[in-house]
Amino acid sequence: MVTQLIKGNTAVIIGALYAGCDCYFGYPITPASEILHEASFYFPMLGRKFVQAESEEAAINMVYGGASAGHRVMTASSGPGISLKQEGISYLAGAELPCVIVDIMRAGPGLGNIGPEQADYNQIVKGGGHGNYKNIVLAPNSVQEMCDLTIKAFELSFKYRNPAVVLADGVLGQMVEPLKFPTNAVQPQVDTSWAVAATSQTRQNLITSIFLDFEQLEDFNNRLQKKYELIEHQEVAYEKYMMEDADIILVSYGISSRICRSAVEQARNKGIKVGLFRPITLFPFPAKELFKLAQTGDSTFICVEMSNGQMREDVLLATRCMRPVELVNRLGGNLITFDQVMQKIEEIAKGGST
Amino acid sequence: MVTMEDYPDIETEWCPGCGNFGILKAIRKALVSVGKAPHEVLIVSGIGQAGKLPHYMKCNTFNGLHGRTLPLATGSKAANHDLTVLTVGGDGDTYGEGGNHLIHAIRRNPNITAIVHDNQIYGLTKGQASPTSELGMKTKVQTHGVVNTPLSPLSLAVSLDCSFVARGYAGNIEHLAGILEEAIKHRGFALVDILQPCVTFNKLNTFKWYAERVYRLDEEGYVPDDRIKAFERSLEWGDRIPIGIFYKKEKPTFEDGFGTLGEGTLISRPKDQTLVEELIDSFM
Repeated sequence: MVTQLIKGNTAVIIGALYAGCDCYFGYPITPASEILHEASFYFPMLGRKFVQAESEEAAINMVYGGASAGHRVMTASSGPGISLKQEGISYLAGAELPCVIVDIMRAGPGLGNIGPEQADYNQIVKGGGHGNYKNIVLAPNSVQEMCDLTIKAFELSFKYRNPAVVLADGVLGQMVEPLKFPTNAVQPQVDTSWAVAATSQTRQNLITSIFLDFEQLEDFNNRLQKKYELIEHQEVAYEKYMMEDADIILVSYGISSRICRSAVEQARNKGIKVGLFRPITLFPFPAKELFKLAQTGDSTFICVEMSNGQMREDVLLATRCMRPVELVNRLGGNLITFDQVMQKIEEIAKGGST
Repeated sequence: MVTMEDYPDIETEWCPGCGNFGILKAIRKALVSVGKAPHEVLIVSGIGQAGKLPHYMKCNTFNGLHGRTLPLATGSKAANHDLTVLTVGGDGDTYGEGGNHLIHAIRRNPNITAIVHDNQIYGLTKGQASPTSELGMKTKVQTHGVVNTPLSPLSLAVSLDCSFVARGYAGNIEHLAGILEEAIKHRGFALVDILQPCVTFNKLNTFKWYAERVYRLDEEGYVPDDRIKAFERSLEWGDRIPIGIFYKKEKPTFEDGFGTLGEGTLISRPKDQTLVEELIDSFM
């Protein structure tokens, strides 16, 4: 097995190549541009296709076109660019097309800055475009997962014919860690069972999100909801760390969860029973597991995220307000500090702030 | 009287030697020449290295969205047509992300001066090809060289009968300031594309490269009143690159289409609610 020190953004492209992605469409934006650079370098080398588009809207519509033809396609950007892609993502979901979108979140709203934030949670997990659709959302917390979850995103997006998003942030995109290269590679392939691939077999296939008949569109919408229920039933992924006897449960994803892990260890050294619950899939959100935790113990939850509590709302819903759900956060491109998390843990351990 | 002291130097974050310095200076000179005080001027920018320019100007400014400078400026012009509105953006900003808006701004013809810092590269995101990058130019994304035909912004503008079309060069500040002065004075949409060396990411189109090629249209007795001649000159690129005013045409502006603007700007008008009251009464 090959291990190399690699940047998070590069790991995304390594994953995409192993996942058989054969079309990349992008537009430069900090802090996601290295994904574009690596794709421009590796894709043509392997006989795959790379296009630098004139805008993010152009790129996502190229994704729509490539996906319609049954290919494994992707794009990547950061907050402002992802906002521009939302129109296309709604159409991709409406046409039930598989594709992978990578969001290296930066701080907003508006132009904001290029520091890390986790405030695209709502626009990615809750939709962002119009209509009753959902993205499959995977949240890596290491360079290894930047690669592995990109592969997983392709797998799930084809399994359910639905857009899948890898939701990471500026730190994960820019940081360098060892990456164990995947051992299996999927060859680029075309799914002719539904695509329009210019072959006689695919002549009957139709890619569309237009349903002018109201009843037909309602049926289609209901079918989409069934698909999302199935995804919720089958694909929830999360990681539990020192959760067995935890009185305080940190709920955190992405780079924030790495800081939480250190806080769990430090708190345990001080005799405070803290555990970490890390959602890996944000849709499907591990709501049932969180509900179970809320039901069975008298623990306090602390959401740790670089947003104004966007994920906390889902934790509140999942736990049905049975237990207190606190928030530790930073905004504006600032990383949450270890001390900040520790301070909240100690405050709660002393019986305050609930 | 407006002087250069009204537009003082402000510390910048551009690379030393950047073509942007020449453009910044020329904009200040032009505003002084036309006698516009800082409070009468609005500069709207997109995002990119050019998009930082408003931060270095003491007047009304704001940063808009990448590619959207022209709709933003059009909105400001509709709201207060007394403002002298300038937009600044790069080639990626104006011709890539905002390409569609450029076409429709030219058609709409608001009295705006659109200044394009055309360095043929994306500078802020560290060196990818832009819509005006030369064929074959190698970048970190176009590793085998640019394969897409570069856009000729001036040809596009002339073909759309844009009311003022010019090209300046960041290495000739006096000449550029003169063009900008004419552009600001012109009644209608003015596109000023500026050849701007990027000392960090564009190793091809350097100051030396331009110095050997640019020539002034006015020195050849060129008169910018003929669309066909302007189109021919706009296609000239290579050993000789023309700079100056290519085309000028008076035509009705966006503001002319609003009858109400003749009554002055909202801020200068007496507060008269009669029409609103009459309308409300008509609903009763």
